[in-house]
Amino acid sequence: MHTSIPRGCVSVAEPEFRSSITTLAAAPLGAPALTDESSLTKVSVRAQVGASPLGVDFTRATRRDGVLIVGIRPDEWLLLGNANEVETLLATTEFDASVSRIDITHSRLCLRLTGVRSASALEKVCSLDFDDMMFPDGATGSASVAKVSSDLIRDDVNDEPSYLLLADRSFGQYLYDAIHDATAEFANISS
Amino acid sequence: MLLVPCPHCGPRNSADMSYQGEASSRPDPSSTTPSQWRDYLYMEHNPAGWLKENWYCSSGCRRFFTVERHTVTSEFREPPLPGSKTALPLSKTTETGADTDQQGGES
Amino acid sequence: MIRRLEPQSGEVIDRETPLKFTWNSKKYIGFAGDTIVSALLANNEQVFSRSMKYHRPRGVLTADYWDPNTTVQVDTEPNVRGAHRLLEADMKVSAQNAWPSLDFDIKAANGLFGRFLTAGFYYKTFIKPQRLWPLYEKVLARFAPGGVVDLNTPHGYHDKRYSHPDVVVAGGGPAGLAAAISAAQAGMNVMLVEQNHHLGGHLLWGTDEDRATARELEAAARVAGVEILTDSAVTGRYDDNWIAISQRNHPGVVERLIKARAKTLVVAAGLVERPYVFSGNDLPGVMLSGAVRRLINMYGVRPGNRAVVLTANAEGDAATTDLERAGVNVVQVVDARAGETISKATGSSKHLSSVTLIDGSTVKADLLVTAAGWTAPTSLLNMSGDRPSYDPTAARFFPTALPDNVIATGGLVGDGSLDELIAHGLDSGKLAAQRAAVVKHRLQSTVSRAQRPEEPEPPMPEDRRVGLPRAPHPELYRSDTHGMVDFSEDVGSKDLVSAAAEGFDSVELVKRFTTATMGPSQGKLETVNTVAVLAEARGETIEEVGTTVWRPPYASISLGALAGRVFEPVRVSSLHEWHTDHNMTPILAGQWIRPEHYGDPGAEVTNVRTNVGIIDVTPLGKLDLRGPDVSKLLNLLYTNKWSKLAIGRVRYGMMCAEDGVVLDDGVTGRLGEDHYLMTTTSSGAGQIWQWVEMWLQTEHPDWQVHVTPVTTGFTSINIAGPKSRELLKRLVDDVDLSPEAFEYMNVRTGTIAGVPDCFMWRIGFTGELSFEVHVPAGFGLHVWEQLLEKGADLGVGPFGLEAQRIMRLEKGHFIVGQDTDGLTKAPTTGLAPLIKLDKDDFAGKPELEWALAADAPELPVLVAIAPTDPRLVPDEACQILREGTTEIVGRITSSRFSPSLQRSICLGQVTPEFAAAGTILTVRLCDGSDTTARVMEHHAHFDPEGVRLRG
Repeated sequence: MHTSIPRGCVSVAEPEFRSSITTLAAAPLGAPALTDESSLTKVSVRAQVGASPLGVDFTRATRRDGVLIVGIRPDEWLLLGNANEVETLLATTEFDASVSRIDITHSRLCLRLTGVRSASALEKVCSLDFDDMMFPDGATGSASVAKVSSDLIRDDVNDEPSYLLLADRSFGQYLYDAIHDATAEFANISS
Repeated sequence: MLLVPCPHCGPRNSADMSYQGEASSRPDPSSTTPSQWRDYLYMEHNPAGWLKENWYCSSGCRRFFTVERHTVTSEFREPPLPGSKTALPLSKTTETGADTDQQGGES
Repeated sequence: MIRRLEPQSGEVIDRETPLKFTWNSKKYIGFAGDTIVSALLANNEQVFSRSMKYHRPRGVLTADYWDPNTTVQVDTEPNVRGAHRLLEADMKVSAQNAWPSLDFDIKAANGLFGRFLTAGFYYKTFIKPQRLWPLYEKVLARFAPGGVVDLNTPHGYHDKRYSHPDVVVAGGGPAGLAAAISAAQAGMNVMLVEQNHHLGGHLLWGTDEDRATARELEAAARVAGVEILTDSAVTGRYDDNWIAISQRNHPGVVERLIKARAKTLVVAAGLVERPYVFSGNDLPGVMLSGAVRRLINMYGVRPGNRAVVLTANAEGDAATTDLERAGVNVVQVVDARAGETISKATGSSKHLSSVTLIDGSTVKADLLVTAAGWTAPTSLLNMSGDRPSYDPTAARFFPTALPDNVIATGGLVGDGSLDELIAHGLDSGKLAAQRAAVVKHRLQSTVSRAQRPEEPEPPMPEDRRVGLPRAPHPELYRSDTHGMVDFSEDVGSKDLVSAAAEGFDSVELVKRFTTATMGPSQGKLETVNTVAVLAEARGETIEEVGTTVWRPPYASISLGALAGRVFEPVRVSSLHEWHTDHNMTPILAGQWIRPEHYGDPGAEVTNVRTNVGIIDVTPLGKLDLRGPDVSKLLNLLYTNKWSKLAIGRVRYGMMCAEDGVVLDDGVTGRLGEDHYLMTTTSSGAGQIWQWVEMWLQTEHPDWQVHVTPVTTGFTSINIAGPKSRELLKRLVDDVDLSPEAFEYMNVRTGTIAGVPDCFMWRIGFTGELSFEVHVPAGFGLHVWEQLLEKGADLGVGPFGLEAQRIMRLEKGHFIVGQDTDGLTKAPTTGLAPLIKLDKDDFAGKPELEWALAADAPELPVLVAIAPTDPRLVPDEACQILREGTTEIVGRITSSRFSPSLQRSICLGQVTPEFAAAGTILTVRLCDGSDTTARVMEHHAHFDPEGVRLRG
């Protein structure tokens, strides 16, 4: 599936990809920044438990050719990136016949929370331990975030803590608002 | 809140999981009798001691597993095993596991 | 008379900041740093409440958080602990549980016949006759304690957070501070929780040197990076050191609940001073030694003028010194260590006036200070599995055995000099840090996402701390008179003695019968006296009687904090904003917000039946199934057969649980060789996903099937009506939509309005020619708008859930969970032909086999029902009766007025005896009247042959 303009068959207005987060709020000064990255291409690669079709272990995330490869479940790997890079990676990787792939771009929302206090903000909505040793850069885990099952990936940006959060598309606005509210406490606090 | 040893994720809050009841094995449907089958469906043994039980890591890795827990001390006996089937779909979980976080339920 | 002293060296009030406030409408001035009670005492107020049962006037007893007699109403907030809550400008403070006023309390008459109000009085007196209970209730309600709840008070902001500290220290006295410091210095992440507004514990009301030590410890804790929470409490300890903390010092938040998973917990709760039991021990003017020391040293308030001091320990001696320094005339010191004691206190005009000594002599006094000993608040240790034991030499309970991750220090474990306490605290913090490191190592090795530790796991460190000595202390519980044991619940020693006489032989039962220890201080003041009085009454030792179990919460926690921020997830489809902009009447379906209708559901039905309508069915559960074994899986889950489903074909299926009860239904289509799309009901989407995963993971791990929920990956739109094909044709040119090329119950993949990868199903819940299209969700709104734009001339319009429900009922399609229930086995739904018992296995097969056997018990059957009066729509859940009796033989499960047929239509469950077509049923309506209805031949009221559907 695509989020860019697909080929046209019937002459109609150009379809436009729409995120499920429709209303963005301004980040309070100094608070962790919350951005919508839902339009990234997301492909789920499935194999047997214990297999390693992409060379990435469960709970680990690594970037390869611009694509973030995430061991999201013992039998599932998530590819996250822009459409061309994901397609290239898939085309150049050899998969066993038992591996299946499915584009879940439209099923999952994707938020990014960045800032020195982003772990503290997440602690207000999620029971995971975000300590640097327990959830280091390049780690991933799934848990309830504000009561919505979510996948969290630590993906630091320029040495600043940053988390990607994926969840079911239909919760978009609710989840955005809940996390945005959790960040408010950390406005104007530098560390 | 108990920490339950998920074989894939490691120890996790029990609220991240959905309890699936006592482990039992499904009788062969071609030869089972009503009393065997209904024992499988409805009867729990509920011992005060070691119990094999099924858990579903609903907010985490989404794997079913079986683990032995002491019902008096809540101690777990390592290691957990692959899951066994529960007779009836026990919890009305949502697609998002959204019912797992009991706020303040422990206080 | 003003009782404020000259400035004291340890005072915590700011005399530069006076605060105006009112007490029962009287205007007063206190200082910043005052508690409500210290400010009132300074203004010479001494009576703060009336006791719960006898309405006796009550004054200050402990002058701290646990003070049982100083609970007040502050503005609209009831039940505020007045000796703990800090004074604020313009507070309106009033007394609770006093009617009509604190000075003149009618209910104090209770005190006159108090001897009749013994333990269990209410239980025994008002139980019969039952018909009088409403009357009793009305009278008793006026006597009930507690403040006034204002329902119009705006909700304060409450919050919640999780935390994973290495070490939580409960208690910020010298031992707790020392433990926090050494744990933090060992590199641990430490959270220190203190109930009071200031750190230092008993050092705060001690000597200047004590306070200097407290300040040093606090400074060191801050330097070490300890997270300090004052005015907060560890309210509970649960499995695996799950710690509940109520935090009240967070800016902008009334109170927040912290759920902490601590690697180790250090309990340094200190000691709580225990009241002495004697006649008149609840008179205003009788105080504990800690109360007078707090009042004088921290708040600069003189607690009385003429004092008698009963002392059994150094704290009592220090109180004497403090009193004399504050200008109080200490007329008599009674030393319990020398075997002396007091007998009773006598009052006049709501205040202590004299004290009778054990020799019968009487001393005039307006202040009686008792220092009778200590209660170890072992609450958090009990919650960790410990059963503390009593040491008669030290006259208190001590911990016995604790788990590795809980460490006790300070007064809980022994006595000793300040240096010894601090040394023990430092050692405890070190031990806590070492053990936390082991727990952390284990977590890092077992939590799969964590960074693996490089070192091997260290052994769990042994407890090698030098213990604290236990100072001998007289056992001083009750004098030769009877007095109050539980001040909050108004339970006296006499009540406990009579409970023992009535045969209550377990302390747990006595507690429940008398309600002793069940009030707001939750046993901190009363438990040990309760046990001691009971032991005396039964001629046993305190050890033999044992204590009650201390349970959470350790301190009060508000319901707001427990609720926290309210997380109520809602789900919406990609079309939600469009619906909102177009007059949607929303309906909440599970977590989903969906359009019920857009103004007129009847017109929406008519438009579908005559033109074409579109409905947003995004919540419909969708599971993408891939792999060579999918058909095996489908055969296992559904009751019918799936082996021969051709690519491009769709089939309806019904799923049962293992008890044969209908679990879910829907259609599944084959998209490719090893690729299927399963649909489930909207409400069953999550449950069925889990159900499918369970079968695959536990019973058939060898099968290769990958299941992916894609419910919201697609915006699902049902295009229904005679003109639906014409409409869809205008947007699709890569799929032949003609009836010959795209038959009923088929599925195609194609491009709709320029959006590729869409699925189109020819199915129909509404009974019309219809196409259900699944469009990648990010383009859902585009396709929806295109359908409306391109079909304007066809009369296309949106329809909502209500119109769909009407049309499905016209067609007689049941809804799992509405028309079926937890006893509806598959054969009774009218779909028995879909049960294929010749398959080897499927979920629920044995039960269905038995249900279909000739000798099976007869179960209610689902039938279509037409009321005789076509305008009458019986409510859903109306009972169906055997005529002329009240025997229930069925019920209406769905009912609507059909715009297409212009008459009422129903589905219902009836016993087989009444299920034959043409049977006339008696339906009992909600208003109690009866009507008749006829059982129909087909489930479908409308177009039973399905001509329109297949058009």
